[in-house]
Amino acid sequence: MTPRPDYDPASLISGLIVIALGSLLLLDQADVLELHPKYILPAVLAAVGGILLACGLVGPRTRR
Amino acid sequence: MSETEPTNPQPEQPEQPPRRLTRSTTDSLIGGVAGGIGRHLNVDPLAIRIAFVILTFAGGLGIVAYLLCLLFVPTDDPSAPPLKWGLARTLGAGLLAVAALAILIPDWAWGPAVPLLAFAGAVVYLLIRMVRDDRGSHVGRVAAQIAIGIVLFALAVGGFVAAAAGSALGGGIVVAGLVIACGVGLVGGAFRGGARWLALPALLLALPLGAVAATDLDVRGTWGERTFRPSTVAELERGYEMGLGSMRVDVRGVDLPAGRTDLPLDIGMGEMRVIVPDDVCVTTNADVGVGAVDVGDGEQGGIDFDLDEDDRMVAPGVEHLHLIADVGVGYLQVGDEFHEFRGPGSWRDDFDSLESGTSRVACLGAA
Repeated sequence: MTPRPDYDPASLISGLIVIALGSLLLLDQADVLELHPKYILPAVLAAVGGILLACGLVGPRTRR
Repeated sequence: MSETEPTNPQPEQPEQPPRRLTRSTTDSLIGGVAGGIGRHLNVDPLAIRIAFVILTFAGGLGIVAYLLCLLFVPTDDPSAPPLKWGLARTLGAGLLAVAALAILIPDWAWGPAVPLLAFAGAVVYLLIRMVRDDRGSHVGRVAAQIAIGIVLFALAVGGFVAAAAGSALGGGIVVAGLVIACGVGLVGGAFRGGARWLALPALLLALPLGAVAATDLDVRGTWGERTFRPSTVAELERGYEMGLGSMRVDVRGVDLPAGRTDLPLDIGMGEMRVIVPDDVCVTTNADVGVGAVDVGDGEQGGIDFDLDEDDRMVAPGVEHLHLIADVGVGYLQVGDEFHEFRGPGSWRDDFDSLESGTSRVACLGAA
């Protein structure tokens, strides 16, 4: 039986954050949403912070 | 009984090695290149030498070709050490390749192309050394790490700049799509051992896109330095638009009617100067992504700066020009005192200056 590949929660959280940020920017670029600069830059910073935090909390990946 | 002597078997002739091009050690004037080629092609080496001399007059191609042969063709001396690709030989080959390119392509850009090419060549050399050198000396490993670092850094900077340019040129939707694709890759990779590295390209794309979105930067349109001199009100009201550069709009030639006339202006990135008549009431409504505005009350600006001059105080019936300016990243200056300098003694003969400010008295109308 082949061992199940490692599950990396940091990648999952980072991916969800990136998808959320990308969707926000996509809606802004498609003129579906009119995002104020006051919200765009904090959103980008929050995404960077969230990814770093997720990776920091989960710690380095260890392979079995 | 006589014994017949066994016949000695003929020794097998060794197989002839394939005839390959080598430099001649016996027929050599400089490096034996012409002698070797002559022997290989079975022609008189003198003809080869003459050909090299003729090619030398073709932009030095003969010298470059000779040096390349000297570098790449081994000698026929069996005691000579085998060819080894050290740093000196690689550097020499690289320089010769650059010289050959410069000769073959006359419009070769000598500006930033040469150092960039040299830099890329150095990185490629280090990477090849890393791949070929299995044992890997300490210096080699450090060099390889530096090379990998440089390649990754160059990729990161290139991706960032490309994402910024692509977003500013109207490709924001594509860049946002790539960000989402990285996110999907991260989620998918989470169940296959992790793909954290995808967060870096995602952010390298998202950061410039976010900056472009925040400033509403759009550099599509005309680029460069343009001066517009409208002569009719209809021309004025159509407005002016530029993507990137320096825009000057001189309105002094327009005979403005009584009442409000709108002038729409749009620049993606750069500076915009508006020269207005000194006896006309001018009000400005400016939307600046990042930058500043100077309409005579001092420079004001910042990120997402809006200037809304109240035009309710303008007396009815006066000639009133209302500027509606959209500046992505840059500077807007409005003034009625324009000094055109066309005299000698200046380092530039087109050094003009515009003093910010417009007539406030004109807005009050006749007493």
